[in-house]
Amino acid sequence: MTPPRRPVPALAPKLEFEPTPGHVTDHLQVTGARKSFGGTEVLKGVDLTVAQGRTTAIVGASGSGKTTLLRLIAGFEAADAGSIFLDGTEVAGPGKWVPAHKRSVGYVAQDGALFPHLSVGQNIAFGLPERGRAANTRVGELLEMVSMDHSYAKRRPSQLSGGQQQRVALARALARRPELMLLDEPFSALDAGLRVATRRTVSKTLTDAGVTTILVTHDQAEALSFADQVAVMRDGRLAQIGSPFVVYTRPSDRATAEFLGDAVILEAWMEGSLALCSLGGIPVRRPPVQGRVHLMLRPEQIRITEGGKIRGKVVDTDYFGPETTVRIQLAPIVVDEGRPVDPHQPVGGEVINIRHWNAMLARPGTELSLKVVGEGVVFPWEG
Amino acid sequence: MVFMKSTTAVGTPRRKTHHGGPKGRSTRSGPWAVVVLCLVIALFSLLPLGYVAVMTVDAGWDTVVKLVFRARVADLLLNTVALVVITVPLCVVLGIAGAWLVERTRLRGHKFWAVMLAAPLAIPAFVNSYAWVSAIPSLGGIFGGVLISTLSYFPLVYIPVAAVLSRMDPALEQTGSSLGLGPWRIFFRVVLPQLRLATAGGALLVSLHLLAEYGAFAMIQFDTFTTAIYDQFRSTFNGAAANMLASVLVLLCLLLLLGETKARGSARYARVGAGAQANPARLRLGLFQLPGQLFLVALSVLALGVPLFHVFRWLIAGGTAIWTRDALIQALLQTLGYGLVGAAVTTVLAFPLAYLVIRHPGPVSKMLEGANYISSSMPGIVVALALVTITIHNVPAIYQTAVVLVGAYALLFMPRALVNLRAGLAQAPKELDEAAQALGKPPLLAFLKVTLRLTAPAAAGGAALVFLGIVNELTATLLLAPNGTTTLATEFWSLSSEIDYTGAAPYALLMILLSAPMTYLLFAQSKKAAGQ
Repeated sequence: MTPPRRPVPALAPKLEFEPTPGHVTDHLQVTGARKSFGGTEVLKGVDLTVAQGRTTAIVGASGSGKTTLLRLIAGFEAADAGSIFLDGTEVAGPGKWVPAHKRSVGYVAQDGALFPHLSVGQNIAFGLPERGRAANTRVGELLEMVSMDHSYAKRRPSQLSGGQQQRVALARALARRPELMLLDEPFSALDAGLRVATRRTVSKTLTDAGVTTILVTHDQAEALSFADQVAVMRDGRLAQIGSPFVVYTRPSDRATAEFLGDAVILEAWMEGSLALCSLGGIPVRRPPVQGRVHLMLRPEQIRITEGGKIRGKVVDTDYFGPETTVRIQLAPIVVDEGRPVDPHQPVGGEVINIRHWNAMLARPGTELSLKVVGEGVVFPWEG
Repeated sequence: MVFMKSTTAVGTPRRKTHHGGPKGRSTRSGPWAVVVLCLVIALFSLLPLGYVAVMTVDAGWDTVVKLVFRARVADLLLNTVALVVITVPLCVVLGIAGAWLVERTRLRGHKFWAVMLAAPLAIPAFVNSYAWVSAIPSLGGIFGGVLISTLSYFPLVYIPVAAVLSRMDPALEQTGSSLGLGPWRIFFRVVLPQLRLATAGGALLVSLHLLAEYGAFAMIQFDTFTTAIYDQFRSTFNGAAANMLASVLVLLCLLLLLGETKARGSARYARVGAGAQANPARLRLGLFQLPGQLFLVALSVLALGVPLFHVFRWLIAGGTAIWTRDALIQALLQTLGYGLVGAAVTTVLAFPLAYLVIRHPGPVSKMLEGANYISSSMPGIVVALALVTITIHNVPAIYQTAVVLVGAYALLFMPRALVNLRAGLAQAPKELDEAAQALGKPPLLAFLKVTLRLTAPAAAGGAALVFLGIVNELTATLLLAPNGTTTLATEFWSLSSEIDYTGAAPYALLMILLSAPMTYLLFAQSKKAAGQ
C-alpha cells in the first residue's frame, strides 16, 4: 500500500509544462482559500505563495484560522473554495482533491503525535518504504539529522522529554523526504529554555535539508526569528506578508503592529513627510494620508538622552532585572508660533511605555529628555 | 412493520450508501457512513422501547385501563416501589460509609477492605438468594427482597464513591477547615456534595437492577413487575397483560432516569487548575477503629461469607457426583460460546457509536448516545418480550435462534463496551491518524495501524465485561434461548427451582469464579476513570 512516490526534488525544478507565473519558483501557491465550519467562516479567502526552500511563518492569535490553513495545505481538510498548487501541481481546487497521504507533505503536530504503541525507531520508520536493515540505517541517519543518538531508537516515546519528542516527530516527518514541511505550533508545549534550543535544531535541520517549511505559531517572537517570510493572519485573512524586518518595522495596520510587538501609538498631525506629535516631528516614509493620524513607533526607537527639546516626566517603573519599563508622561504638542492652528489638530500629552537598561536613571517624578531614532509609521485616524 | 424494517436493516449494518463520491473526499464521507451506521444501531437499540410504546397504543385506552388499574398491578407497584425506596437509601448509606472508611480514615487494612467491599459484586444476586434461602428457608417478602438486594448491590454505590473519594483534592477539605469548619461539617458541606454525581449514578444502577432482577426475587417468591411479567408470559405466552405490565415497568425505568438526571444537576465537579495534587489526608479513627472494623466484618460476612459458605456446603454435600453430569459440561461450553460471540458482536456494534461520540462530538452523536443510554436501561425481561414478539410476527425464521439471543445480549450490555471504547478512543487522538496519513498511509490503513491498534486493549476490556455479563444473564436467556441451549445461569436456575440445591452448587461456583475477574476489572477501572 505504498503511495506513488513523487520524484526526488531536483535542485532546479524541471519544467515539463507551460511556465505560468507563480508556478516556477513558487513551491506552494494558495489562492482564494475559503473554509467554513458549521456556518462560521474560518478562512475568508487566503492567498499565499511560498518560494522553494524558504521558511514561512504564519502567525496569528488563536482562532485566526492559521491552523485551518495549514490543515488545508496538509490535506486533512478540503477547502470550500480556492485552489492549492504544490510544485506546480494542483492538489486542491474545484473538482480536485488529493488526500494527505498522496501529497508528499511532512507534518509535525503541536505535541508531536508520536505513536505511543511504537518505539522511537518504529515511529521514524513508520512511513519508510524500506524494511529491515535498510530501514534501520535510515532511522539512524534521521536521528543524526535531528542531533539525537542512535541508542534512542529503542526507547518508547513516553521515555523522551518534550523537546526530544518533537525532534523525533520531525525525523519521522523527514523520513519520506517531503518537499514541504508543515509545523503546527511544534514548540508551544515546551518550556522557554527548551523551546529556543529545539527551535534552533529544527530550523538548522530543515535548512540543511533544503526543505520548504511553513510554521504556524501564535508567538510573534518565534515567527520573527524562525522565518524568511512572515504572514500575519487575522480573522480569516492574511493581514500582511513580508520579511520579518518589514512586517515588524512597517506593519500595515495598527492591529498588526500591536500583535507583532510592543508599540507606542501617538496622536499626530501629518504634513508632507513629517508627523507632528508629542515627541516632536517624526519622519514618515510614504504616508498613506495627511492630517490627523495615529503614529506608531517601536519602544526601542525612543531613547533617553541628555539635553533636548522633548521632555517627559517619569510616572512609574517596573523593574525586570536586565531592563526597566518606564512609564513617561509626555508634554503636549508644541506648535511653532505663527503657524495657523487647525481645529482638529491633536493635543498630545500621552503616557508612553519604553524600556531602559538603567533602573537608577528613571525614578518617578524625574524629568527626562527624549529622542526618537528612525522613522515612524502612520495609520489613518480611527474615531 | 416498523420493526420489520429496522430488524432486517440490522442484518446488513455494514452496507454503505454512496460511499466516497466523485471527488473521492474520503475524509468527508467517512463520518456520514458512520452516522448512518450509528443510526441503524440506535434504531435497533430502541426496539424494546418502541415495542412497548406500540403495544400500549395498539391495545387501546380501554384495555390499558382494564389491565393497568387493578389490584394486582397495585400490589406489584407497592412491592416494587417499596423495594426501591428502602433498598436504594440502604445501599447509599452502606456504600458511602464503606468508601469513606476505606479511603479517608486510618482504618487498619484499608487496602484489603477496599477489595472486600467490591467483592460481593462477583456473586450474582440469584446465587446470593439461593444461599440465603438455604440458610433461612422461610425467607421471603419485602424483608427478604431488601436483604438480598442490598447485600448484592451496595458495591454499585461503593465503587464509584470510593473512586471519587480517593481522587478528591485534599486542598478543598483544608480550605474548609481554614474557613472554620470541623471534621463533621467538612464531611457534610464539602465532601458529601462532591459525591453527588457518583452517588446518583450508583443509586440509578441499583434501582435499575432492582427493577430488572428476576431470579433473586423469584427464588424467595417476592413478586415484582419483572417476576410477574415472567409468570404472565409463561402462562399466556404473548398476552396483552404481560405487555401492559411491561409498559408500567418501562415507565418506572424512565422515571428513574429522569430522577437521576435531576439529581445529577448541571454541575461538573472537575478539579479546577493544573499542577500535582497531594494525596488525601486520612482521618485518625481513634476509639472508632474497633466499631469500624466490626461494621466491615459484619457486612462482609453477610454479603460474602453467607453465600460462599452455603455454596461450599452444598458442594461438599454433593461430593464428586455433581461434577460429572453431562449437562454441566454442555452448559459451560454453551455459556462460553455465547459469551465470546456476544462480546465480539457487542463490541463491534458499539465501536461506531464510540467513534462518533469521541471524534465527532455534536448534537447527532449526543442524541445517539442518549438513545443508547435509555434503551440499555430497559430490563432484560422487556428486551426479551419485545424480541420474542417481533421475531414471531415479523421474522419467524430467526425466532428462537442464537441470532436473537446474541442481539438481546448486545442490547443489554452495549454500555459496558461503549464506556470502555470511549475511554480507549480518547487515548488515540485524531492527530495520530493524521500523522500516519501525512506519512503516506491511506486513511483506512492509518486507521487500522493507529486508531484500531491503540483502542484494542480498551476494546478487550469492554468485551471481557460484556462476556461476564452474558455468563450471569438469566432473564432474557430463559425467554430467548433456542431449544436445547442451556447456560450456567439457566441450568443453575432450573436445578435450584427443582430444589436440587446440591446439583446447582457447581454452577454457582463456576459463575462466581468467572465473575471474580469482572469485579476486579470494574474496581481497577473505576480508580482510573474517577475525576470525570
